[in-house]
Amino acid sequence: MDQETVRTICYLARLEIDKEKSEKIENDLETIIQLIGGLQAIDTSEVEPLYSPLEKTALKHEDIEASDNQKEKFLKNAAASNKDYFLVPRVVE
Amino acid sequence: MLDHKSISSSELIQETFRLAKQYQDLNCFVTMNEDRGIKKAHSIDQADSSHSQLSGIPMAQKDLFCTEGLRTTCSSKILSNFIPPYTATAVQKLEEAGSIIVGKTNMDEFAMGSSNETSYFGNVHNPWRKGYVPGGSSGGSAAAVAAGIVSAATGTDTGGSIRQPAAHCGITGLKPTYGRVSRWGMIAFASSLDQAGPLARTAEDCAILLNAMSGHDLKDTTSLDVETPDFLASINQPVKGLKIGIIKEFDLGDLDSEVQARFEESKNLYEKLGAEFIEISLPNISASVPTYYSIAPAECSSNLSRFDGVRFGHRADNTEDLNDLYIKSRSEGFGEEVKRRILIGTYALSAGYYDAYYKKAQQVRRLIKNDFEEAFNSVDLMMTPTSPNTAFAFGSKGAQNPIELYLEDLFTISSNLAGLPAISIPHGMVHSLPSGLQLIGNFLQEDKILNAAHIFQQNSEFHLAKPSMEDF
Repeated sequence: MDQETVRTICYLARLEIDKEKSEKIENDLETIIQLIGGLQAIDTSEVEPLYSPLEKTALKHEDIEASDNQKEKFLKNAAASNKDYFLVPRVVE
Repeated sequence: MLDHKSISSSELIQETFRLAKQYQDLNCFVTMNEDRGIKKAHSIDQADSSHSQLSGIPMAQKDLFCTEGLRTTCSSKILSNFIPPYTATAVQKLEEAGSIIVGKTNMDEFAMGSSNETSYFGNVHNPWRKGYVPGGSSGGSAAAVAAGIVSAATGTDTGGSIRQPAAHCGITGLKPTYGRVSRWGMIAFASSLDQAGPLARTAEDCAILLNAMSGHDLKDTTSLDVETPDFLASINQPVKGLKIGIIKEFDLGDLDSEVQARFEESKNLYEKLGAEFIEISLPNISASVPTYYSIAPAECSSNLSRFDGVRFGHRADNTEDLNDLYIKSRSEGFGEEVKRRILIGTYALSAGYYDAYYKKAQQVRRLIKNDFEEAFNSVDLMMTPTSPNTAFAFGSKGAQNPIELYLEDLFTISSNLAGLPAISIPHGMVHSLPSGLQLIGNFLQEDKILNAAHIFQQNSEFHLAKPSMEDF
């Protein structure tokens, strides 16, 4: 777990780590990676992954309108919004 | 008392709020629901209709369940101002059954923790000893029940977060079969592991709560479309002839001698009641902790990507562009443990590492599940201590090495991986702190573990013990 890898995964996760905490975080990540790396010793050839205890595929239902327009309700919790949209810093120059 | 009208719902809820204020140093509540709670109690008293078992019962709701109009924070800064526009199905069902929300309980941030020390709102104290952890992540709920503020609470369990705080606080807590209780409105940590469940003083109360909480929900595609049995119906079956498995790979000889002694005493009690113990093997069970700590962080990194400062929650000021808004909002909003798990999860899912970590863990998960399936051919349920240790002092574990805290989940994690139901009940004290006994059941067999737990409680008094509360 080198600094370059930590920087990459921080960017992927959209997180930044304070400089004074970065060494501890790197050490913690290294320790945890070592813990989970221990699974390599287990033979899992021919074993299907178990992504959910239920092994269900996504259920389907009829594509019919089931609720009212609740735009106002959903805009209410945003830090910045107008009557129609969530507002964010300009994206397109 | 409510049924016999010796106390009204209004009197009961007022007393509950009085106790919550009296014991506020426990720090088990983040948000109180006083006005609406009193109003509901009043309307219950006025109504002529016959009461259900939960009618007028004050309940604490873990602050991970969305509650319409009532702040829901997951004990995180990033949601410290979030007012949900809807209520989680599990809570809705409890409300429709007549229970009254007292408030939202403190927890480890986003349910990530085993000690309730990662909350943005501060630690919860264990009612049995000030300055000690109540366990986590449902620490606030467990403390509220143990302190006698409420008789019932909800929790969620992803790796032991109902059972372990129940054990540390000397109460009963149940994690149902995955899919038994709807996850709609339950803010997701690890979607294939999370499950909602009850905390109460007794297995019988947990059965009543589970009856109300369970059921198929079209809004949750992982909700099982099975009939909910009456979990009270078989609770009094004698345990004579019950086959209980002891997992040979869990070497209890490494545990504190008092923890071992309590376990042996519980085994003796069940043997006296006619149960039979059988040694069983779960060859891959020792891989549970690394398996969980690959899968849960991976799933959490995906689930927590929704917290970006745009649609809800904390938004950073003075950001240069959209990317900067995401990074600063999330970095300011999340605590250290959450960030740690997101980063591990992101790494495990990233290109070049996905097969080695995430897929590998899910393959080992299947091996663990298969081991349980095989073992349940010869036993009705399994028994372990709930936790290797009892409650510990704030800051005494995990500060230098996070793995120290992760290993507290040793006995509970495997049932989450396999989706199996499990319950923790108090079974005595260890160095003057409560210790818990765990029963693990087969898929959809909550009735068997509730029955065994109830019979244990009918033949012992550990569940009746209460903390003195003199330090609060």
